[in-house]
Amino acid sequence: MMRSGFLFSESQSRIERLQVAALVGLMLIGAAFVFSATMVTEAAGAAPWYSQSWFRQMVWYGLGATAGIAVCAVDYRIWARWSLVIYWGTILLLIAVLVPGIGSMRFGARRWIDLGFFQFQPSEFAKLAFVLAQAHFLSRPVDELRAPIIFAKALGLMALPFFLIMKEPDLGSALVLLPAGLVMMFVAGTPKRYLVRLGIVVGVLGALFLVDVLFAPHNWQIKLEDYQRRRLLVYFGIQPAAAPGATKAQQEALRRQQFDDSHNVRQALISVGSGGWMGKGWRRGTQNALGYLPRAVAHNDFIFSVIAEERGFVGSVMVITLYGVVLFTGIRISGQARDRLGKIMAVGIVMIFFSHVFINIGMNIRLMPVTGVPLPLLSYGGSSVLSSLIAIGMLQNIHIYRKAY
Amino acid sequence: MLIFDQLRKDDPQLRTVALAVLAGLSLLLAGLWWVQVVGQNEYQANLETQSFRTVRLPAVRGKIMDRNGIPLAENRPAYNVSLYLEELRRPFEEAYAVAVTQARANLRAQAEQREKVLRRSLNREERKAFVLGSKDKTEIRKQARFTVASNVVYQVGRQIQVPLTLDRTDFERHYDTRLALPYPVLKNLEPIQIARFQEQSASLPGVDIEIQSTRVYPYQSSAAHLLGALSRDDRSLEGEEAFFSYRLPDYRGDLGIEFGFDRYLRGTAGAKSVLVNNIGYRQMEQVWSAVEPGSNVVLTVDLRVQQAAERALLEGPQGIHTRGAAVVMNVQNGDVLALASAPTLNPNHFIQGFPRGEWQRITDTHAQKNRATQENYAPGSVFKTVVGLAALEAGVSPHENLTVPANPNQPNKGYYQLGRRVIRDTAPPGSYDFKRALKLSSNTYFISRGLQIGPQAIVALGHKLFLGERFGLPTRQETGGYFPDPDRLRARWTDGNTANLSIGQDPVLMTPLQVAVMISAMANGGTVFWPRLVARIEPVDTLSGFGPLQYPSGLVRGVLGVKPRNLAILHEAMLSDTEDPDGTGRSVRDRAALPGLRICGKTGTAQIMDERNVKTGQTTWFASFAPYEKPKYAVVVMVEDGPSGGACAPLAGKIYQALLEMEKSAEAQGAVARLEGGR
Repeated sequence: MMRSGFLFSESQSRIERLQVAALVGLMLIGAAFVFSATMVTEAAGAAPWYSQSWFRQMVWYGLGATAGIAVCAVDYRIWARWSLVIYWGTILLLIAVLVPGIGSMRFGARRWIDLGFFQFQPSEFAKLAFVLAQAHFLSRPVDELRAPIIFAKALGLMALPFFLIMKEPDLGSALVLLPAGLVMMFVAGTPKRYLVRLGIVVGVLGALFLVDVLFAPHNWQIKLEDYQRRRLLVYFGIQPAAAPGATKAQQEALRRQQFDDSHNVRQALISVGSGGWMGKGWRRGTQNALGYLPRAVAHNDFIFSVIAEERGFVGSVMVITLYGVVLFTGIRISGQARDRLGKIMAVGIVMIFFSHVFINIGMNIRLMPVTGVPLPLLSYGGSSVLSSLIAIGMLQNIHIYRKAY
Repeated sequence: MLIFDQLRKDDPQLRTVALAVLAGLSLLLAGLWWVQVVGQNEYQANLETQSFRTVRLPAVRGKIMDRNGIPLAENRPAYNVSLYLEELRRPFEEAYAVAVTQARANLRAQAEQREKVLRRSLNREERKAFVLGSKDKTEIRKQARFTVASNVVYQVGRQIQVPLTLDRTDFERHYDTRLALPYPVLKNLEPIQIARFQEQSASLPGVDIEIQSTRVYPYQSSAAHLLGALSRDDRSLEGEEAFFSYRLPDYRGDLGIEFGFDRYLRGTAGAKSVLVNNIGYRQMEQVWSAVEPGSNVVLTVDLRVQQAAERALLEGPQGIHTRGAAVVMNVQNGDVLALASAPTLNPNHFIQGFPRGEWQRITDTHAQKNRATQENYAPGSVFKTVVGLAALEAGVSPHENLTVPANPNQPNKGYYQLGRRVIRDTAPPGSYDFKRALKLSSNTYFISRGLQIGPQAIVALGHKLFLGERFGLPTRQETGGYFPDPDRLRARWTDGNTANLSIGQDPVLMTPLQVAVMISAMANGGTVFWPRLVARIEPVDTLSGFGPLQYPSGLVRGVLGVKPRNLAILHEAMLSDTEDPDGTGRSVRDRAALPGLRICGKTGTAQIMDERNVKTGQTTWFASFAPYEKPKYAVVVMVEDGPSGGACAPLAGKIYQALLEMEKSAEAQGAVARLEGGR
């Protein structure tokens, strides 16, 4: 606002063009394949064009781009100064979403605030707010980071949204915070011994958690939603046998259940695998058209399966290349940031982005367990698109206000 | 890497981050390579198994026709009304939505009721009892589906004016196991029902008429035994695609020509694939191997003669309860013109189902047995033709007389004393030459002659006639009869055996078809033909480049090598059997007008004894050929437990009448053809 001509000024304010180009590419792919994934039923085709998913997605792209540009308008250091306000604001929203009546329930999870026209998902924005606040907190002089109390506070800053999002429950979104938080501490210069210990503790706890969930007798288990536990069982390929003395019908029911549980993953794999080298062509994928890939998830969490089926390995490589461009230009932005705040913030955003990409594509090819983590910019969904573009806006902001050469 | 190099050297942390990101993306690429490039075939196969169903399409079965091309077995389209379930998906969904809303409202009302009773709101636990579980939903879905389908069925029934109901278990079984195929509601529609359906039901969703080919035998039980039977069998044949998700109804021959020529008749089944969606509804169909229709089989049988033979059997001594067989053969080439067996059955029943009590009747009377080829009978006096011929060949003079003494117990009958055994005769005592002995069927004469020439001479002639040997008929309805071989003559053979053999008893058993071949050989001057049942196999597709497969007529199996003079003597004696007023076969003309046809015949009555030598029944015969001057046809009639061989003769007369009519119409057609050719 103070310097309105910044975007176009020659010396300082050039945006990172390569990254923007990759983003545009991703958004075009996103619109095209949301179209392909949703326009499979007569009912979908019969709806007016302005209420079809692909168009809504484009609207979100537009809104997101506007928001991203708006973010660039204010120096990131000023955003950082307000970061705690933003952080606590999203924490309030995360608490609010857990309150029945405010948060709306879908698929057994309370993740959304129903705004009528828009299902607002606070966790998407909480990730960003966390990065902002953590970057602000860690940008203090390196010496201070050696103090255990600072380390503890940084951990606390991460733990609060982590547990709130876990509570929704949204394991995937919560887990995304961990690599971002750790890498930010690492880049900020937190002593290695702290990080190593933290890594060991997280690793041991994670392992204990998994062992408990997968193998412990029923009343010893951590309370997880049934579907979460089953997803983990599917991921690790464990099929618990029926209790001794179970009737044939019960055994059959259990087998059926296990088969159904692995349905999404199996179908996603068949989609991706049957795409082969070149894919079957846009809108020619049968897995999605025939409904084997469940329609409820084909256009959001499993959009990558649709792309991979219809565009093959070539398409997959293209998508990953575009993400690679976004990520590496992000890291370069981090390296060229004018101060530690910018550097830490940029690396945090890159890690959030990367975690999403890795977890989502990973779950399409059974590299990761199934969690509801969207693929940034490709998955259908307003909150995800909006927060992704705001995040990129922040990266561009850091780039715009980078060091002068 | 470009970006990597741009990172400052003194910034190891960012370099580490960049490497980690690079490693992560590489891992994803490697995973994608593994799934999409290495594993693509496997996943492609998975995709196909879950989304394609293959259906076996049976070919249209070939026709079986008589020698003039009249179809004895053919196919008619059967019209079925079927539900196309994929078109009912939306109504199913809508009904389900309504039902679920209804069920929820009911539960809510119940919950409120409960709250009123309790005077407080329900807590979480208590509420659970009033929530629709997934099991309830499945049940509601099933019910909704059934309701929609049965409504459609009811409407169809009302419009075609047949009360129709939908069987729930059947419908659900179809839904669970054969969803990709249409569900048959009503099979075999009458023409009027088809018309009503076309007029009114075309607008009903998800209902349509489906055409299926079914086997019919238009002449009902005519030639039933020869045609055979089909049974439901849709398995793959050898050399055919073996794995199908579904198979449409198909039939396979079990018996008769349907069995023996099954591989020609059934053609080649085709296959189509149905693309189904995740619930199993049909989306698209593609035929990937076309059906090749079966070839037609042309029999040597003439329908008119066949029907005459069948009618004659029905007019037998026991009327419709007559058990017997009739065979008509062309003596000059072995073509079988009729092969009838009574009692009979209707082969249509194998396809359409048997009426009440019919199957019981069939098992009780052994109606399925082809008595013309499938049962051994003692030929009785018919065999005297063989013994007589053997005696003539051995040098016995036909004019040499033999005096037959009167039976002390029955003064008007002759008898033969063999050691202590008295063999009764039906012919009177007196003096017999060959001709008189044959026409009166004197046991005493032929036993004497048999003992005179010895069993070897008789057996040798029998073997030249291939008695006791099968023809190798393609019908799975054959027995070879029995005839002693030379070894049997060396072991425990007595004069008693020779005496029995001489009058066609005990150690000789024949089928009526064997008798017909034997009589034909005697009629045509000594040539034993292979009987021919099938003239040719005609492919339906005349453009296929394969011509009809012709079975040669007049295939010689052997020759008797007897003197023509002796055959002439035999012929004359057989002629007198039907023409002399005291001949046993004189009744051949009783009920038939046979102008100018001179028939040579021989009657026979064979006793059937049980193990304790008590008579349990008899087989009566009339074996004949005509015309005497230039033999053309052999007609053999056999009746189980008939009163006498003479009683079979008028049945043969009826058949000769039909043969005369056949010749007359053939002549007329020939004349027409000549006229047309000359024009």
